Amino acid sequence: MKKIYPKLPLIFTVIIFGFLLYFLTQDKNPSNPPSALLNKQMPKFESNDLIDENYQISGEKFYGKKIIINFFASWCSPCKVEHPLLIEIANNHSDVLMIGVNHKDKKDDAMNFLESGNPYDQIALDKDGKIAMEFGVYGLPETFIINEKGIIVFAYVGPITNKIYEKKIKRLLSN
Amino acid sequence: MKKKLKDYFQISFFITLIIISSNFVIAKKNDTLNKDFDEITKMLRCMSCQNLNVYESDTDFSKQIKKEVFDQLKLNKSKEEIVDFMVERYGEYIVLKPRFDGKNLILWLSPFVLIISALLIIIGKMRKNS
Repeated sequence: MKKIYPKLPLIFTVIIFGFLLYFLTQDKNPSNPPSALLNKQMPKFESNDLIDENYQISGEKFYGKKIIINFFASWCSPCKVEHPLLIEIANNHSDVLMIGVNHKDKKDDAMNFLESGNPYDQIALDKDGKIAMEFGVYGLPETFIINEKGIIVFAYVGPITNKIYEKKIKRLLSN
Repeated sequence: MKKKLKDYFQISFFITLIIISSNFVIAKKNDTLNKDFDEITKMLRCMSCQNLNVYESDTDFSKQIKKEVFDQLKLNKSKEEIVDFMVERYGEYIVLKPRFDGKNLILWLSPFVLIISALLIIIGKMRKNS
């Protein structure tokens, strides 16, 4: 037992370097941190629908369904880039509910934006940015996948690409 | 007549005193609110910028955070409660300086452990040699 004491500092050093090396080799981008809400319950939200403003959208209504929540705005250029792919995803996964959250936008501009195609089943209005804040959104577009239990299983900042769809989203939506 | 005038004078004196003191209290409260607002927004990172805090930044994200901080301060929320609210939604990354808590313990303690370990190794070697 006494023999191990002189080796303790070395053991501590190796353990700490091991930890540091583990975190360094993780596939993490410090300027694009993972969502704090990943693997947590979807935040509650209520809003009016963009198209039918009398229709009330409530996050709780979606429990029991697999959903995609996509934050977008007509003034956001990367949103335009991912839009055709979102339409394709909506067509490929008709069993999945796609909810758009129109963030700090003008109704007419948003409607014009959707003229090229509307992948969303419902579109929540987020005029004051409160829904975005509840979801920890800091840059548009942002996409979340929520499972049947209401748990956020995927969060992505930036436009969805074919590579991301094939590598991560497709599997989550097909399960 | 003289007594009536004296009463009027006394009432107006007290009213003026109340107005001045309430203004003083409001000003003092606003001062504290502004000070807390500056402190909190300087602690938070503008997540849509590079190396800027929310206080210095004028992006849409920072404006939204500033508004939320101000609203919560007006509701008498403490600094800790507001920062916790932000961390809950945006993660630890939103805090410019990592907080001293369980999750960051390794980060805070590892330099000290490394230095102490290095010293112990050196002392051990020196003893062995002598």
